[in-house]
Amino acid sequence: MQMNAHPTLPEFDYVRPETLAEASKFLALHPDEARPFLGGTDIFVRMRNGSLALKFLVDLKKLDGTNDLRFDPHVGLTLGAAVNMNRVINSPDVSRHYPLLAEACRSVASYQLRTRATIVGNICNASPAGDTIGACMVFDGMLHVHGTGGQRQEPLASFFLGPGKTTLKPGDIVTAVTFPLPSGDCAGTYLKLGRNKLSDLSIVGVTVLASPYSSLPSGFRFRIVLASVAPVPLVAADAEAALAERAITSESLHQAASLAGDASAPIDDVRSTARYRKLMVRNLTEIALNIVWKKMQK
Amino acid sequence: MEKASSQKTSSPVGESKPRIDAREKVTGAALYADDIQFGNKLLHARIKRSPHPHALLKKVDLTKARRLPGVKAVVSGEDFSGFIGLYLKDRHIFCRDRVRFVGDPVAGVAAVTEEIAEKAIGLIEVEYEVLEPVFDPEFGASTQAPLLHPDLGQYVVASFILPKPGSNISNHFKIRKGDVTSAWKKCKAVIERKYRIPHIQHVPIEPHVAIAKVDESGEATLWDSSQSPFAQRDLIAETLGITQSKMRVIAPLVGGGFGGKAGVSMESLAVAIATRVKGYPVKLLLTREEEFYTAFVRQGLVAYFKMGCDKEGQLLAMENTFYWDGGAYTEYGVNITRAAGYSCTGPYEVPNVKADSYCVYTNHPVGGPMRGFGMPEMHAGLEQCLDELAHMIGMDAVEFRRRNCLKGDSILPTGGRMHPTGLSECLGKAAEAIDWGRKAPPSAPNKRRGKGLALMWKAPAMPGNASSSAWIEIAEDGVLTLGVGCQDIGQGAFTVAAQMAAAAFGVPYESVRLATPVDTRYSPYEWQTVASRITWSTGNAIINAARDARFQVLELVAKAWNETPEDLDIVNGMVVSFKSEREIPVRNLAVTGLPKADGKGWMGGPIIGHGNFMPAYVTSLDPDTGQGEHAVVHFTTGAQAIELEVDLDTGRIDILKGVAAFDVGKAINPDLVKAQMEGGLIQGISSALFECLQLKDGIVQNPNFVDYRIATSADLPRSIQSIIVEVPQDDGPWGARGIGEHSMVPTIPAIANAIYDAVGIRFEGPPFTAEKVYLAMLEAGIVKG
Amino acid sequence: MAFHEINLTVNRGLEQVRVPSNMTLMRMLRESLALTGTKNGCSAGECGACTVLLNGEPVNSCMVLAVECDGADVVTVEGLAGDLQLNPIQEAMIHAGGVQCGFCTPGVLITSRALLDRNPDPSEEEISAALVGNLCRCTGYIRIIESIKEAARMEMVRS
Repeated sequence: MQMNAHPTLPEFDYVRPETLAEASKFLALHPDEARPFLGGTDIFVRMRNGSLALKFLVDLKKLDGTNDLRFDPHVGLTLGAAVNMNRVINSPDVSRHYPLLAEACRSVASYQLRTRATIVGNICNASPAGDTIGACMVFDGMLHVHGTGGQRQEPLASFFLGPGKTTLKPGDIVTAVTFPLPSGDCAGTYLKLGRNKLSDLSIVGVTVLASPYSSLPSGFRFRIVLASVAPVPLVAADAEAALAERAITSESLHQAASLAGDASAPIDDVRSTARYRKLMVRNLTEIALNIVWKKMQK
Repeated sequence: MEKASSQKTSSPVGESKPRIDAREKVTGAALYADDIQFGNKLLHARIKRSPHPHALLKKVDLTKARRLPGVKAVVSGEDFSGFIGLYLKDRHIFCRDRVRFVGDPVAGVAAVTEEIAEKAIGLIEVEYEVLEPVFDPEFGASTQAPLLHPDLGQYVVASFILPKPGSNISNHFKIRKGDVTSAWKKCKAVIERKYRIPHIQHVPIEPHVAIAKVDESGEATLWDSSQSPFAQRDLIAETLGITQSKMRVIAPLVGGGFGGKAGVSMESLAVAIATRVKGYPVKLLLTREEEFYTAFVRQGLVAYFKMGCDKEGQLLAMENTFYWDGGAYTEYGVNITRAAGYSCTGPYEVPNVKADSYCVYTNHPVGGPMRGFGMPEMHAGLEQCLDELAHMIGMDAVEFRRRNCLKGDSILPTGGRMHPTGLSECLGKAAEAIDWGRKAPPSAPNKRRGKGLALMWKAPAMPGNASSSAWIEIAEDGVLTLGVGCQDIGQGAFTVAAQMAAAAFGVPYESVRLATPVDTRYSPYEWQTVASRITWSTGNAIINAARDARFQVLELVAKAWNETPEDLDIVNGMVVSFKSEREIPVRNLAVTGLPKADGKGWMGGPIIGHGNFMPAYVTSLDPDTGQGEHAVVHFTTGAQAIELEVDLDTGRIDILKGVAAFDVGKAINPDLVKAQMEGGLIQGISSALFECLQLKDGIVQNPNFVDYRIATSADLPRSIQSIIVEVPQDDGPWGARGIGEHSMVPTIPAIANAIYDAVGIRFEGPPFTAEKVYLAMLEAGIVKG
Repeated sequence: MAFHEINLTVNRGLEQVRVPSNMTLMRMLRESLALTGTKNGCSAGECGACTVLLNGEPVNSCMVLAVECDGADVVTVEGLAGDLQLNPIQEAMIHAGGVQCGFCTPGVLITSRALLDRNPDPSEEEISAALVGNLCRCTGYIRIIESIKEAARMEMVRS
C-alpha cells in the first residue's frame, strides 16, 4: 500500500554492464529480479512505495549509442535510449523537423525530471498516460532492440500490450528509437489536460499530426493518438478514417472529434472519471484538429 | 498601562526591513531539525500503524522485532498509559486498547538504521478485532453511530469545551441569542443551504521531524520542527510523568507549519521511544505519505446555513449548524468547533442567532489546527449563502455587505461589542480594485467571465490567558539580544520582533539579534506560535521588555548626570538629554555601569530587561447561550475579490485577478504583511481549485504530491493586488493585529461567487476542479453532452 | 548489497565516497558529506526541495543514485556563492523577499541559477514554467518570480 512507502529506497545491487551483450545476458539470466533503467524516475518511485521489488538495477546509460541524438537529412532522427527530454527539447534538428516531439516533451513533469526522463524510457514504461508516446507513434517511431537473439526492430504501433506491458522479453534492451523523415509540410500539436496547469500527469492527452496526402480523397492524412483513455496509447482509427474520406471542414473536424471520443475507453481512477475523460477526448480532439488544420493552411 | 499605539519612537516599525534570517536561508546554512548532526549515536525510529480505521487492539507481539540485530528499543501502548491532548486529553501516545484511524500508532522501534527499523516494524505482529467505523460527522453525531470514545466522560477537558459523554460529540458550542423563530416571520427572504467542505492537509514542504533524547537522569531533550516548543514541553512531560522543567524542547527553523506543527502530534512518539534507550538520540522523520495522513489534517465540515433579511437587506436572523469531522482524536479540534461557533455569523451584525457547532469523532485522520482554524471552512459556505440571499432580494452583493458588515460598536453574536475595524474600508477597496459592477467581455468565445467577493473575520482562538514573554540583554558592542519563545515559521516573526525591539528601545534594526533557536531552557515562555497572535502578543511583551531595559538605562544615566529620566531618550543607540544636550552611547554602560560622579564607586550593572503580556479581559461564554462580555481579544477583518474565467471546453478556472484587503491595525513590516496576503491568496486558490484528501473507507487515496495537487508557479492569477488597511487595535503594538491566517480565509467563497457570476452554477463544496465545473455545466445545459 | 567507491566533484571540491547501491545522491550529500542545504521534502521527485545541479543541469537528487554520479560534477546551494560574495540569484532572493520559511529555497535557487545560465532574459511565462518542479507553500511564488527577474536584471547590468 502506498501509504506504507519506505523512507528510503529498499536494498538492491546496482549493476552497470560495459557492453550491450553483457547487459542483455544479465537481464535474461535474472528475469524476475533485474530490470534495466535509464532515468529511473518511474522505477525508483515504485520501489520506494513498495509496488516493485528488485534485486538488481541495471544501468544502461553508458552503453554504446544510447547517448546519441543524430539527425540524418536522408534517413531521419535517431534518439538514443539515454537521451533525456531536455536534450530533445533543445535540439535544433528536433525543433525544425519534429517540433511535435519537442512539444510533447515540454509537457512532461518538470525541468528537473526532464533532465532524467527519456523518450525511450517513457515508451518502455508503457503507461497509457505517457506524454511522448503519441508523438512517437505519429512519427512512425521504430524501436531498436538488442536481445539475447540479436538485434531487431519493433514498430511502435504493435509494441503496447496493456498498461505497463510491452512485447519486450527478458534480456531485451531498447537502444534507440528512430523516426523516418516526416512529410515536408506536416503540422501537429499535443494537448494535455492535467488537474492543474503544468507538471501533472495527463487526465487526457491528444496528439494530432496532419500531412498533405494527395492519394486520399480529403487530400490530407490525419494521425490521432489518445493518452490516458485506454489500456494502451490509443489510435483513433475511425476518426482518422473519417478525415481521410471527405473534404476537411469545421464540420468534419467536429465529427472526427466525436468519433475519437466514442473510441476512447477510459476508467474512473483517483485522478478523474471515465465520463469526464470521454467528453474531454471529444473536446480536446476538436481543439487540436482545429489548431493543426489552421497550421496546415499557412 | 500606556497605550501601545501611542509609542513615541516608531522607526523601524512600518518599514519593510529585509528579513533577519534571509541570508542563512539562501546560503543553505540555515539549520532545520533534520539537518542537525547527532553523530554515531543517532538511532532511527519507525512506527507501526493501524491498517484499520476502527478496531480493538487485541494483541501486540513485539518479540520478533526485539530480536532483530540493530534494534535498540521496541515499545507499544502497554508502556505508556498517560493521556495527552491540548484542550481534551483523549489520546494515548501509542494506542492501548483501540485504534481509531488508519495510521494510528500502535508500536514504535528505534534501530541503528532506518532500514533495520523498517524491517523490525514488519516483524511486529498485531491482532485486531475490526469494529464498525464512522465516516460521516452527521451520522457520527447521531444515536445510531457506534461510540468511538466510550470513556469521553472521563477525559480531562478544558473548562470552555463542552463534550457530550455517551456520544461521539466531543464539543458542542451553542449560541442562543434573540429569537430566530419569530425573526424568520419578519424576513422578506430566507435561504437554507448545505455545504460539504472536504479534508485538506497543510503540506508544509518540510515534513514533521522530531529527535528526542532522554539521558540517564531522566532529563529529556526534544529537537523538532515546531510551532509550539512550550506547549510540547508541557503536554509531553505531563503525559510521560516527567516534570516540565526536566523536559527541554529546542526548536530550530521551521520549514512551513500552517498550524500542523502546533500542539503535539508525532513528537510524543519520539520522546516515548527515547525513554527506552537512555542516552541515545532517536530521530523520527515522517515520509511525505505519512505527512499526508498521520499528521494533523484540516477537519472536514458539513455545514447548514439558514439566514434571512428584511426588504432593505438587513440581516435579521441566522441559524447555523456545523458538524465537524474531527477525526479519531479531537484534542485540538474541539477548539476549532468553538471558534467557528462564536464566529458563525461571519463579520456581520445579526440580532437573532441560533448556532450549534458540533465536534464529532470519526474514524478519519486527526483534525487539527490549520491556517484559519475553522474560518476558511465556515466562510466557504457562509459567504456564498450571503451572496445568494442578496440576489434573492435583488440587491448587489457588495451593497448587501456594506449594509450588514460590522463596524466599531456593532453587537457581536456573543453579545459583546466589536472594536473599531476597517472592514468597510477593506470591502470598499477590494470592490474598487476588482472594478466591481463592471463586467468585462470574456477573452474568447469559449470563456465565461465572472467576479466574486467575500469578507472574513477571525479572532485568535486561544485560552483567555495565553501569554508571551521576552527578555533583552545588551552586549559591550551595544547590540541587543532579544529572547523570545515564538517561532518564525516563514511568516517573518523574528524580523518584526527585531523591528519592534529596536523601535521600543531606541537602536537601529541592525543592532538587534535574536536568541534563537528557541530553547525552552533559556527562551522566555510563549504559549504557541499560532492564531496569528505573535506580532500582537509577543510584540507587547517585547515592548514591555524594551521599556524595562530602557528604564534601567535612563535611570542610570539620569542619576549620573543629575537629570531626570523624562528629559532623556535613547536614539540610535545613544542616550541623549534634551535638556543638557549631553550624549553617551548605551554600549558604554550596558554591561559595566557608570562610575559615580565623586569617584567613590560604581552605579548600575548589566542591563537586562524583561516583559510579558497576557490579555486580562477575555471572559468565558455562557455554555447554554454562548453569550459573554468579551469573547475574544480582537478580530482581524478583511476582504478578497476575484475575477476569473471559466473555460467552456474543459471547465478549467483561470484566475485573472486576485485582490486582497486586510485591516492589520499597523503593518510593522509592510512587505512581510503583503507577502502573507500573497501566500495566503495562493494557498486559498489552491484549496479552492485543487486540494482534497480523497478518503475512501477511512483510507487516504492520494497521500502524495502526484495525486494531491497543490498550486505550482504556473497556477498564479495574472495579476494580484494586496491592500493594507490600518485601523489601530487599541492594545496592539503600534496598533498591530495579525494577518498570517486571514489571507486564506475568504478565497473559496470569493471564487465560488465568481464562478456563479460567470456560469450561474454553485457547488456543495470545493475543490472546484475543472471536472466538477464541466460536469455541472453539462448538467445545467451550458455545454453540450 | 553492493557498495561502490565513487569519485566526484561537489561544489568545486574533489570527493571520494563509499556508497551502497541504494543510496540516493540526496542522501549522500546530506549524510555522507554533511551538506544539509539540499532538503528532503518527498523522496519522490515531486517537490524539488532536493534539486541540485548534476553536470550543470538541475535534477531531483532524490531520484538519482549516488553511484550514478561517479565522475560527475555536482553543485548544491552551498556552492552557489563565491568566496567573497553571494551569487546574484541569492542576493536577489533576499532583496525581493522571495524567502519565507526557506525550505524550498535551496532547490529554487538551483533551478533559477540554471534557468538564467541557459536563458539570461526569461519572460515571466518562462520563469513560471521553469519553476513548476519546485513547490513552495509559503510565498505563492510571486516574490520568487520577482527575485529571478531582479537577478536577471542585475546580471545584464553587470555583464
